[in-house]
Amino acid sequence: MTGEPILSVRDLTVQFDSGDGWRSVVEDVSFTLNKGEVLGIVGESGSGKTVTSRALIRLLPDRVSRIAGGCVDFEGRDVIAMSESALEDIRGGKIGMIFQNPTTHLDPVMRIGQQIAAGLMLHLGLRSRAARARTIELLDEVGFRDPERQVDAFPHELSGGMRQRAMIAGALSCNPSILIADEPTTALDVTVQAQIIELLRTLGRQRGLSIIFISHDLGLVADFCQRMVVMERGRIVEAGAVDDVIARPQHPYTIRLLHSQPGLTAPGSYFDLDGETKSRNETRPAPQGDATYLAIDRLAVAFSRKRSLGEILTRKPVRDLAAVDGVSLNLTRGEALGLVGESGSGKSTLARSVVGLVTPKSGEIQLDGKSLGKPGERQRGPWHRQIQMIFQDPVSSLNPKMTVGETLAEPLSVHRLCPPADVKDRVLGLMTEVGLEHDLLNRKPHQLSGGQCQRVGIARALSVEPEFLIADEPTSALDVTIQAQIINLLMRLRESRGLTMLFISHDLTVVRHLCQRIAVMQHGRLVETGSAEEIFDNPRQDYTRKLLAAIPRVARAR
Amino acid sequence: MSATAPGDSGRSGVIGLPASLLVGGAIIAMWVLLALFADLVAPYSPIAQDVPSALQPPSLDHLLGTDNYGRDILSRIIFGARIDLQIGLFGVLFPFLIGNIIGLVAGYFGGLIDTVLMRILEVTIAFPFFVLVIAIISILGPGLISLYIALALVGWVSYARLTRSQVLILKNSDFVGAARVLGYGNGRIMLRHLLPNVISTSVVFAMTDMVLVILLGASLSYLGLGAQPPAAEWGVMIAEGQQFLSTAWWVCLFPGLAIVLLALGLSMAADGLAHVLGTKE
Repeated sequence: MTGEPILSVRDLTVQFDSGDGWRSVVEDVSFTLNKGEVLGIVGESGSGKTVTSRALIRLLPDRVSRIAGGCVDFEGRDVIAMSESALEDIRGGKIGMIFQNPTTHLDPVMRIGQQIAAGLMLHLGLRSRAARARTIELLDEVGFRDPERQVDAFPHELSGGMRQRAMIAGALSCNPSILIADEPTTALDVTVQAQIIELLRTLGRQRGLSIIFISHDLGLVADFCQRMVVMERGRIVEAGAVDDVIARPQHPYTIRLLHSQPGLTAPGSYFDLDGETKSRNETRPAPQGDATYLAIDRLAVAFSRKRSLGEILTRKPVRDLAAVDGVSLNLTRGEALGLVGESGSGKSTLARSVVGLVTPKSGEIQLDGKSLGKPGERQRGPWHRQIQMIFQDPVSSLNPKMTVGETLAEPLSVHRLCPPADVKDRVLGLMTEVGLEHDLLNRKPHQLSGGQCQRVGIARALSVEPEFLIADEPTSALDVTIQAQIINLLMRLRESRGLTMLFISHDLTVVRHLCQRIAVMQHGRLVETGSAEEIFDNPRQDYTRKLLAAIPRVARAR
Repeated sequence: MSATAPGDSGRSGVIGLPASLLVGGAIIAMWVLLALFADLVAPYSPIAQDVPSALQPPSLDHLLGTDNYGRDILSRIIFGARIDLQIGLFGVLFPFLIGNIIGLVAGYFGGLIDTVLMRILEVTIAFPFFVLVIAIISILGPGLISLYIALALVGWVSYARLTRSQVLILKNSDFVGAARVLGYGNGRIMLRHLLPNVISTSVVFAMTDMVLVILLGASLSYLGLGAQPPAAEWGVMIAEGQQFLSTAWWVCLFPGLAIVLLALGLSMAADGLAHVLGTKE
């Protein structure tokens, strides 16, 4: 079944209007998709992978973008030269597409059944009754448990995973021969991601679909695809069978990408990135002593739901939403504890209550034997000199109106940590420590890259010389090569400063890399705690096993 | 509000600024300069009466004609810019300050403070704007000071709501969280971290508001509640001229055009400013 090409792209060049002339975003891209195969396109943000995929069905914004050259040969016709009306037959008809964020690609005020049926009526000319029946079959095929009823659901009534299944059903409704999947699982939790990939795999096999799978996640592509192309800055730098590329990468960029995969570098050792650091093995500092440093005792955080007028009038009791539900956790001085869980598991809320951004309902937090007290009182305590936090979204964690220099100088002068004359030197010292060029001093956040912003965030946290650093998903908004740099940095800082660290992530491989101990959370409760080896090699709980099983193959290789 | 609308910034103008800001700015600058150097520019005194040459149509002697007391309309318009610009400035400044402080405090602290301030705000909004302003001026007695007090008491609500809604969003953002984790005081967080990020919308709104305030000032003067005759104020001039509308159109028309021109300049500048502030960061 495989072998003969169904879609071939030759010298595709796409340009965007940059304000002063056209700039090529995708340049001379050529590849072929064979019948029945899954082709992966891997690249980081800005590599042009999404633009490439959209250019295939000319789904690019008018005026600001143009296809400057090349051809896309599909069933013997050039999609680029095709008339707009002929194109309608292809989009959503012969080539289906699913997107990263199912929420924004589904109409919130339309039932999902109607949205899927609309395509059936348009492309296949079905009557509404037949379209509905077909829709129910499709929903059944993509794994809806009760399609008869769920066909009338609105998007907000479905979970993220179910929404993506609905999108897939819509994309497949007209029996396309090609499915383009643009980061279809990036917005989803890891266990849901595994389910969606499994679904795509099954559907691909059953229907003989050819799939173009676009992802930033090399592990996922290696797991799912037979062939892959690697894109960097609008060009294809490497292409070939997945196993070949992974085993014998040729291009420096591919090598860097592979070296950045947390699952492929031994836990605790530095990522080998262009000789940024010499790769030392097993540099994890041992915990200094066994004394408990942070003790969280039966902590509970609840968010009260706004009551509706009806509920107020009938005095109906409203159940609060328990975000953290009786969690007890200890950290010894100098250790790095990884806190893992999916969205909604309460891991961020737990971290935020430790730094006083969230008021716990009950329970106690002790730092170095002293209670942190009620959050209202904590503002004035000296605890902020001991605990600092780095945030998930590096850009929004910096004040957009302040320069790097101002951001870093502020804590020094507010807490009078050094004489005013020395502030500038201290700021430059911090910048050096986190690997920021000194000429970035007067830049504002929007003039920095995500990785640079995160380094500023780390430097700001370090400015008050904390003993304890909480990192809340510090790399999940970053590209994988940048993630590797940031993790290298955090490991180096842990060594040089002897920091105790609570590292929160949804990604078990990242946590394993950095932490000696791992705690797993689900639905606000602590499911399992143990050393990294125990959790990985001998998980006791089903949920932990499920999380581990969801890790893509390449990352699991070691 | 278009203040935060990203995208096409109309960056056609010189030095990267939108054309509307440049043109609007030029018009405002012209009025400001005329007002500052009125003594030098104006051909006649604004209040010197010359009854024999009353109600003359525009001529070389009196470019825009004369009114019923024989006063030169061009001179009166130039001197009138002083009063109307002053109304625009003070009529917006006080509501701007009061509104932003209230919005910032209510949004940041929330809870009881927010509830109380917002109830006061809602009560203020419940009355029709003009009626309330006129009522307050009537109590205080006509004059510009009364006008400023009335505007300060009534006009703050828009700024308060605008700022509060943005503070509500921003106070949960990570950089404010980081500031709290770093142990900064509430005052610092409000003034250094929140205010600079919410003020631009307010500034743009103030520019548009200034147009309305100048029109309001002119209307109130027209009703006899604002600037008092014989002061040269555009609203007063129109009021005085309306009885001659059918015989001497220039008495009303030119002050009217002056208001339109200033309002146009302000709106264009506001529009351009919205683009600059909205897209810069």
